[in-house]
Amino acid sequence: MLRITRGRVYDPANRIAGEVRDVCVQDGRIVDDVPAHARTIDARGMVVMPGGVDIHAHIAGPKVNAARKLLPDEHRADVVDRTAIARSGTGGTVPSTFTTGYRYALLGYTTVVEAATPPLAARQTLAELRDTPVIDALFLILMGNNLALFELIRSEPARVREAIAWWLQATGGYGVKLVNPGGVEMWKRDNGNVTSLDDEGPGVTPRQVIETIATAVHDLGLPHPVHVHCNNLGVPGNWRTTLDTLRTLDGRRAHLAHLQFHAYGGRVGGRPRSRAPELADYLNSHPELSADVGQVMFGPATTMTADAPVSAVLRDITHGRWVNADTEVETGCGIVPFTYRERNYVHALQWGIGLELFLLSRDPWRLVLSTDHPNGGSFLSYPRLIRLLMDRDFRNEQIGRVNQQAMRRTVLRDDLDREYTLEEIAIITRAGPARLLGLADKGHLGVGADADITIYDDREDREEMFSAPRYVIKDGVAVVEDGELRAARQGRLLRVGADYDTSIEPALEALFEDRYSVQFSSYPVREPWLLEPARTVAARGGP
Amino acid sequence: MADATCAGCGCLCDDIVATVAGGRLEVSGTCALGDAWFADRAAGPVARLDGREASLDEAADAAAEILRNARAPLVYGLGRTSNEAQRRAVALAEAAGAIVDPARSGEAGLAFQAIGSSTATFGEIRDRAEVVVCWRADPVAANPRLLGRLRLDRTARGSRSLVVVDAQHTATAAEADAFVALEAAQDFEALWALRALVAGAPLDGDGAAGLPLDGLGDLAQRMRGARHVAILHSGGAELDALALLWLVRDLARDRHAVSLGLRRDGNAQGAEDVLAAQTGFPTAVSFARGHPRANPGELSAAALLARGEVDAALVIASDPLADLPHDAAQRLRDLPTVVIDARETATAQAARVAFAPAVDGIEVAGTAHRMDGVPVPLHALLASDRPAAADVLAAIAERL
Repeated sequence: MLRITRGRVYDPANRIAGEVRDVCVQDGRIVDDVPAHARTIDARGMVVMPGGVDIHAHIAGPKVNAARKLLPDEHRADVVDRTAIARSGTGGTVPSTFTTGYRYALLGYTTVVEAATPPLAARQTLAELRDTPVIDALFLILMGNNLALFELIRSEPARVREAIAWWLQATGGYGVKLVNPGGVEMWKRDNGNVTSLDDEGPGVTPRQVIETIATAVHDLGLPHPVHVHCNNLGVPGNWRTTLDTLRTLDGRRAHLAHLQFHAYGGRVGGRPRSRAPELADYLNSHPELSADVGQVMFGPATTMTADAPVSAVLRDITHGRWVNADTEVETGCGIVPFTYRERNYVHALQWGIGLELFLLSRDPWRLVLSTDHPNGGSFLSYPRLIRLLMDRDFRNEQIGRVNQQAMRRTVLRDDLDREYTLEEIAIITRAGPARLLGLADKGHLGVGADADITIYDDREDREEMFSAPRYVIKDGVAVVEDGELRAARQGRLLRVGADYDTSIEPALEALFEDRYSVQFSSYPVREPWLLEPARTVAARGGP
Repeated sequence: MADATCAGCGCLCDDIVATVAGGRLEVSGTCALGDAWFADRAAGPVARLDGREASLDEAADAAAEILRNARAPLVYGLGRTSNEAQRRAVALAEAAGAIVDPARSGEAGLAFQAIGSSTATFGEIRDRAEVVVCWRADPVAANPRLLGRLRLDRTARGSRSLVVVDAQHTATAAEADAFVALEAAQDFEALWALRALVAGAPLDGDGAAGLPLDGLGDLAQRMRGARHVAILHSGGAELDALALLWLVRDLARDRHAVSLGLRRDGNAQGAEDVLAAQTGFPTAVSFARGHPRANPGELSAAALLARGEVDAALVIASDPLADLPHDAAQRLRDLPTVVIDARETATAQAARVAFAPAVDGIEVAGTAHRMDGVPVPLHALLASDRPAAADVLAAIAERL
């Protein structure tokens, strides 16, 4: 039992914005009141928020692990000692499993989405998440280049819904991710790609894939809508593809991943420009849509994506380490270590576009914070990003330092005077992501919610404030106190529960036969030690 | 009848059909390696101390004491056990401040860390690779079902071609469309020459002297003419591996190109994956300073043993006395050693403490990673009174 007294509470889901009040905890949940003998945390002068929820990051699975192997230099420079309660590890932009969990917790985050798992590799993602302590985690399965599903889209689109539900149950996944639909398949054939939503190369058009799968996810009533990484990531002029994708969704709910990387004007082969204002407008006027920003932060990053053709482009920019890994039937994977530099036109423009999206967004519930960790920068850079949003003077000073040609292509020099409030920060880092994910027990402090709570010293320097929370409570247990890790229990898997008609299984088995190199019977994850402890969030079911 | 996965080599064939009748296991669909793998189980006591039968507790106490008293213990092997046991082994190594090195991890990882690689799962290579090269790899002998699984049998491969580059005319060469004889010491020069040939660059006469230029030229032509090329290899020394990865990277400019390292031990891939996930490094990791530190070469088992820098060993599902270079093996023989292995091995025979646990994949369920990284379930087909390797590791860890 725990009472957090006299803190300033930011709980936007319950319309509490900076009110001084108590928060009570019992048996891992928020309760109305606790007896007088309950432990008390005196939060005077502190800010109390729900635990952070990261809606889009890459923290586990084959792609992340290949990047770990690729980065001994980063790991050598950032080691973490074993303690009485914590396993040792290494950090850098792609930390080892245990270190990932501890560092998210130390940052005040208690729920994280692993955003791109090949369903064939679900066992690996699950095993790594088991070794990622403290945080609750969920993962999205890659379905945008699946040849078996393409066949079903061609022949029996009405059954795609059952197939998606089967795949989610077979893997322990939470939601459905599309990455460059159709394009990755073309890459694996002969280094090709698609360039428009009507490209027929893959045998189905990207538009068909987006429409059919978005409809299936909608009809299943999954708690999180289809999570889309659009075609043409990073390509100048790609904002038209992004708009085309949004129009194709046509009223269906969808979440766009790392919108910044899809908001470029200009012509292919030329210099990109910002189209953030146009996309922000579209998003503002379409309440069924949401996005995370995918902010670029200057300094080291590791790009890792299922969008393997993009990695080949980055390879030809850096001429450095490059990993490509093709997964049969389902997806590709590319990894390129990358450094974003202030003086570089493109990097500065990307940084600026991210900020434009944040500053032009009118609904923080639908445009939430991410760096697409570790693609745009590590999750450890979130506090600096928060300061950029909350502190106009700091932001303008930074704008003055970076490539000015790029800044002239944005509206940032028009002295956008917006400063995010603490309430808005609470929305874009916890309340909003939780709502977009359909996690009713997360991201708020109402009675019955999970007792995942972060308490910050209220400091003027918001970067310092958000870098080192004073207390972090997970499931009612103080895991961080005075900025130090005090407990490191295993978190849980959050998975979706979606019913399907079992008559889809023989149909899928037939589609698997000549495509996969594993048996249909080997494919579903049944091992309890990989799937537990878990909480299942039920789909609403029925259209 | 039950589904079974054979962990006899890195192919992890999961299409094996098992039947249990009267406590006897019958399998079908296996190759000769697989038959041997399913048949090979230690018959002796669950635990032995200095060669005599001991209780599990007694043996676990003794094992923990050996690790506790050591200043620099080595944890070695891991490739023939499940990911679940590997996780326990890394945890134990950390708790003991040990150095952990998967068996036969080689130097190819260093080449990967230098430039990365392009790779693919079996299904991709099977369905797309038009030219497949076995570079000093002999899957017909080492991974007998691999060619079949990649649809590279002569009758099945159609217009796709298979080329073997090796010192001897291997069993795989007998199945190939072309064979290039190449001395073992010529890998780097030959791969570098291929890079030039593929790029259409003229070869420097001196550097190329002694290379089988006709064969390499023909191979370059085949690869240049393909939309999708795969090179299967077996690791090799660092520079040779680097040259091979560079060749693939060059090829990947104008066509799709991938390479795949073949693995002999069933879960060698899993061992490196688990170690990388938990520590950030795939091989040769020391916990001596309380955090992971890796330095392949310096901290590789063979080098540490040869230099006399470890003073105890925990060997998990591996037979280093048979596999390590002679001088390293001799050193190991003199160290207090604990072995956890479901198979009887020379190393287990010589160990001070030896556990013979239940077999992962026959008596214990788990997960393993195929040589291409795909996770595959291991099944428990037979009941066993013996503890799992993971449980033995946990029992030792509790006592540290």
